Amino acid sequence: MSVKVEVIEGGVPHSKILIAGFVGTLVCLYLTYLNVLTTHTGMFAFFGGLAAVIALIWGSHTIKVLCSYGIGTGVPSAGMIAFGSGTIAFLFATKFGDAAPIVAVVLAAVVGFILGWVSNNVLNMRIPAMVQALTEMAVVGALTLMGFAALMTGGFTFTGLTSVSVGTTMGTNTFLGGCLIAVAFLLGAIAIQHPFNACLGPGWKQDRMLMLTAECGFLSMIVAAIMSYALVDHVSATISLIVALVGWVYTYKEYIVLSRRDAAAWLDSKPIPEVEGH
Amino acid sequence: MVDIVFGIGITALTGALATIAGAAEDTESNIGSQGDPNSQVQLAPQMGFMHRIFNKAVAGEPPAYGLWCALGAGLAWAFMAMYPNPVLAIVLGSVLAVIVQGVYATTAYLGRTASLAKFGQPVYVDILKSMTTVTMAHAFIAIFGTVALCQLINGALEHPFPLPLLGLIWGVTLGAAGSATGNPYYGKERQYQNQKFGAGVPISASGNIVRYAEAGERNSLDNGWFTAKIGGAASGLCFGLIVFLELWRTILFEKSFDGWGAVIVGILVILIFTIIDRYIEVWARKNYGPYSEIKEASS
Repeated sequence: MSVKVEVIEGGVPHSKILIAGFVGTLVCLYLTYLNVLTTHTGMFAFFGGLAAVIALIWGSHTIKVLCSYGIGTGVPSAGMIAFGSGTIAFLFATKFGDAAPIVAVVLAAVVGFILGWVSNNVLNMRIPAMVQALTEMAVVGALTLMGFAALMTGGFTFTGLTSVSVGTTMGTNTFLGGCLIAVAFLLGAIAIQHPFNACLGPGWKQDRMLMLTAECGFLSMIVAAIMSYALVDHVSATISLIVALVGWVYTYKEYIVLSRRDAAAWLDSKPIPEVEGH
Repeated sequence: MVDIVFGIGITALTGALATIAGAAEDTESNIGSQGDPNSQVQLAPQMGFMHRIFNKAVAGEPPAYGLWCALGAGLAWAFMAMYPNPVLAIVLGSVLAVIVQGVYATTAYLGRTASLAKFGQPVYVDILKSMTTVTMAHAFIAIFGTVALCQLINGALEHPFPLPLLGLIWGVTLGAAGSATGNPYYGKERQYQNQKFGAGVPISASGNIVRYAEAGERNSLDNGWFTAKIGGAASGLCFGLIVFLELWRTILFEKSFDGWGAVIVGILVILIFTIIDRYIEVWARKNYGPYSEIKEASS
């Protein structure tokens, strides 16, 4: 029997975030397809990064919903299972060409559902939000990985991830051959769990947490864009980097403003405040 | 197959790099109150104990260092794919990974502290500025050491795994070594110097961490200074031994029994360490425990 320790008060309901995140991520992923339509440039790769950011925002709110129950492990474990289950769906889906994002969603939902069912019925965790949350998080994990893959290579098909794109000379320099998927995995897994892990507590605020997620997403996008210099042409990588930098600076500033709004006090070089009884 | 003498030389070098990385990692995580001691730093204001301790809970150390090292290695890999200069690539990759680490540290401190507003815990901007930069400096040493040893394993010892994957594996190992070895020294001893030595943390003393220093108020730099002496060195030794023994058994025994020689030696090493650990545990229990009487802890 689990105990719900916190409730979501106010703010945008989870169902809205779910729908907006799902649609936004898929639209952005398919916008990277403009790379193929417009005679093989990589200029639209940055849409992959935006897809990852949107998916992360949705996923971090799912983690908030799930971790409002005492799940018996730390928050970071939720990020790990999201991307662990998402990786399988992502890799398999890349073989389906243009339909890859859709296949990834379906397959990840199946994997997540099975994991949630096993957690609740075999391991007897009996947490009401578990099945839906693990299903959502597997989808988020798969789509975020696909977003980072599209950002770094310009596309999301298996051929693109395993063959050399523009500007490189070595055969092993690919997203999968160079194992950049390991970096994408952890960039996403930490970015998805950090916002709730950092903002949890009695003073949790939805807007502050979601702003932090966007900040983590854009920060991950910055370094992913830098890595993409090795895989796509320099103009495309620079566009991705500029988009990421602009997004990161804005969200980081906004997050500090929101933290300042919510903090008890904002002190510089001041002693510990006196509290009665201690 | 590389020449054995060359292989042992590289093994020794990676062991040395790992020792430095381990020591830096533990000191970094202690200054940031990451891992084991974090819950008490988080709990303290809720129990009425305001403090000036830095609290950057990004994740447990293994996943966090998994990211920093995989990221450093991934960026270094990308730079090397463009310009074949490993030294510059590793330095640049580590610098960028450290910037990500620093940003995560600031958001973690601000987020946790802002969520504790109900209990009156203020955000200290001076703590944020001075602690973040010090953790970044230590993290750079840890990440650089780990990515460099990954490059040695990949480039010199011809390990088949690409650099980013090695970064992930050894980053997680580095975090685990620091978390398991060094953290208890901060979390159980330094935070609770006001309790009887070795008494553990009684529930009545939860959150009552040491907040005042020899002079003035304690901050996390004091904790880093304190734990660097024993906790940091022990973590370094731990990670250094892991890396050294792992490569040593591979270099020397990978040719015996179609590669099974290295596996058998690995199991033997684990058995030897299990026996040593058990001996130390029994010896410590005989000399220091069990407690003769239960005393009420005072806060």
